[in-house]
Amino acid sequence: MDRRQEIVKQNEKNVEKTHELYEATPAVDIYENDNEILLHADMPGVVKENISVDIDNGTLSISGVRKLETEGAATYEEFSDVEYVRSFSVPQTIDVEKVEAELKDGVLRLHLPKSEAAKPRQIEIKTA
Amino acid sequence: MFTRISDIDRLFGTMNLLQRKLNNLYGDYGRPSAYRWELESATPRINLYEHGDNFEIRAEVPGLEKDNLNVKIQGNYLEISGERGSDAPEGYKSHKTERGVGSFSRSFTLPADVDATKVEAALKDGVLYLTLPKHEAAKPRKISIN
Repeated sequence: MDRRQEIVKQNEKNVEKTHELYEATPAVDIYENDNEILLHADMPGVVKENISVDIDNGTLSISGVRKLETEGAATYEEFSDVEYVRSFSVPQTIDVEKVEAELKDGVLRLHLPKSEAAKPRQIEIKTA
Repeated sequence: MFTRISDIDRLFGTMNLLQRKLNNLYGDYGRPSAYRWELESATPRINLYEHGDNFEIRAEVPGLEKDNLNVKIQGNYLEISGERGSDAPEGYKSHKTERGVGSFSRSFTLPADVDATKVEAALKDGVLYLTLPKHEAAKPRKISIN
């Protein structure tokens, strides 16, 4: 019953969005160093044209639609057409202008550089 | 009369149970397997289609290059194995590592023998496409009626 209420609530929230596909959560790796945050997401079978990456108000959402060309009768099927959806909250210190994304072999790689102000800085100590 | 109502009640109970099971199944669909089975996280998911004279295999292998994959065929036995290396960059701190790493091997018994010499394999966007033509003897044949 809870689950049904959840679904109804979600549908109310996004009135115009229609869900034709299963939504799946892509597996991600997230790395960080002093200069940037890296995000790698597995989205096998998704082509560049069907991926969208949005950063809005501190939320990074990635979404990718996979359309497989299949022929014949399925003897068995472990995966199908799917919409990969996942969102993350990112710190405001990310330089949104310089975000880069690349897609290779079904892996989406996002580079989220930190803005200059947010980088760690070594403070020099002056001798008096 | 009383027993009949309890029968119906039990029927509804079973239906509810089934529905709950199905709901959970749906909710879990496509979730990275790392959440559930750590061991299987590197194992690709595979589809098998039968299309006229061919079998078609599709396997999810994100991030793998063709050198990392091996396909072995013998009669109706098919084995797909490979290794997925970590692409973790040097000098980075990791916050999340859900993408499976390691070697995997999956083997299948196909419904019929395939002609191993005519198998075609392609790798595109992280999906492995295999086309396995059926062996002559296993092909569908039209019988003419005298």
